[in-house]
Amino acid sequence: MWWSNLFADMSPASFFNFSFLPKYAVFFRQGIEYTLLLAVCSVALAVIPALVLALMRLSKSRLIRGLSGAYIAVFRSTPLLVQLSIIYFGLFGMIHIPRYSLFGFVDLSRFIPGVVALALNSSAYVAEIFRAGILAVDAGQMEAARSLGLSKWDGMQLVVLPQAIKNVLPAIANEIVTMVKESSICSVLGMAELMFGAKAVASSTYITLAPYTMAALIYFCINYPASKAIEAIERRMRRGDKQ
Amino acid sequence: MATNNEVIRVEHVVKEFDGGVRALDDCSLTVRKGEVVAIIGPSGSGKSTMLRCLNLLEQPTSGKVYVDDVDITAKGVDLDKHRRKMGMVFQHFNLFPHMTVKKNITLAPVRLKLKTQKEADAEAMRLLQRIGLPDKADAYPAMLSGGQKQRIAIIRALAMEPEVMLFDEPTSALDPEMVGEVLDVMKELAHVGMTMAVVTHEMGFAREVADRVIFMDSGKIVEVNTPDELFDHPQHERTKLFLSKVL
Ligand SMILES: Nc1ncnc2c1ncn2[C@@H]1O[C@H](COP(=O)(O)OP(=O)(O)OP(=O)(O)O)[C@@H](O)[C@H]1O
Ligand SMILES: [Mg+2]
Repeated sequence: MWWSNLFADMSPASFFNFSFLPKYAVFFRQGIEYTLLLAVCSVALAVIPALVLALMRLSKSRLIRGLSGAYIAVFRSTPLLVQLSIIYFGLFGMIHIPRYSLFGFVDLSRFIPGVVALALNSSAYVAEIFRAGILAVDAGQMEAARSLGLSKWDGMQLVVLPQAIKNVLPAIANEIVTMVKESSICSVLGMAELMFGAKAVASSTYITLAPYTMAALIYFCINYPASKAIEAIERRMRRGDKQ
Repeated sequence: MATNNEVIRVEHVVKEFDGGVRALDDCSLTVRKGEVVAIIGPSGSGKSTMLRCLNLLEQPTSGKVYVDDVDITAKGVDLDKHRRKMGMVFQHFNLFPHMTVKKNITLAPVRLKLKTQKEADAEAMRLLQRIGLPDKADAYPAMLSGGQKQRIAIIRALAMEPEVMLFDEPTSALDPEMVGEVLDVMKELAHVGMTMAVVTHEMGFAREVADRVIFMDSGKIVEVNTPDELFDHPQHERTKLFLSKVL
């Protein structure tokens, strides 16, 4: 066959040539930790701005709605890598962060800009999650609160938001799963997360393929069980609501 | 002090929804102190919209709503303050599902600093006693029957010590066997002199408890009279037609 040559030097075994593991496992371990730290921190940081954006989006004022809408549109309609580069070189080109190292392998001068960029991106998505969650709370709840003389903000804070947040918790957990994957792009800017670890192993061992297979396996083994667990929790919550 | 004991006075209220539906077409009415006013009429006639204009859950397109002689449609009035005087009970109860019954009842009085938590708790227990549900204080709404939910929604509104209570078809989402227990609470309220405006399909209740009945059709107040006059000698064709269907 004409295409046989293309795969001549690629046996199926080369996908799983994990001979680098004994020596380089630490790259992957630190990569996992870095990746999880990135994903959890960025979504956690995104929650408050996202809530503010969502409330702005539901405001009566067209200007406030528009501002929040524009932010969300920009971050959802441009690639993460582009946002990351602009924030990394632009915003943090001007702010100096000391080269302090966390846990020995998380270089803050890279980690902080990365987390901020991911959080700014994530807040656009989480804002839409919150907005849907708030709108899903029966309008009668706010009306009951207002009819008792509570202000709009009290009604939001005491009655609507607690119900909305409970409903969106699974979606926010899913956002963390998404961030575990998306944060792989931070390797481009030299953040030592999982993808970066795989790259480093590939270039120091001249094993070009298997380190990435390893990374894929790890991503899968984190995300698949996590999303299955979220699904199960969501199902149980929904069953609870019906009663 | 309000003139003529009027708690609520509505003058020429028009309500148009986006899309051009004229739900209220030049409606005027008064609710006097201690009086029970029943609002009846066919589905879509604007009864709920009328009631919701009384505490401005719906903003009238034009016209005025006076509460204790204060125009609450005017710019700059402290609406939250006036809403406290008007308790509202909804068709679907609208209890707060993430709070216990007691918390539902005490939330607003405590938040608005009308009572301390302790005073509010004591008052909640007194009110629960009154409707025979003291053992439900720590239950969540999901654990209650429809009739229990609605009775608790009523005392939640009462906990704000309102001057007037507004009811929007409080029994029409209930299983038939639970209608009685809710109507009994409302009758007791009427009996102790609470001012009430009640949108209802329960003609028996309107006849027995109301001092005046308002018949609405197509966004207009067609006829206002005492229950006996309105039910036995309706003046307008539309009233006659409606009553012939529901009685
Ligand atoms: N939020 C809204 N937006 C648009 N139209 C509305 C809205 N609320 C009510 N309407 C319309 O206004 C009219 C009056 O509605 P309203 O709910 O006041 O009637 P009702 O007499 O309470 O009827 P029912 O007995 O079915 O409760 C109807 O034509 C209804 O479709
Ligand atoms: Mg109605």
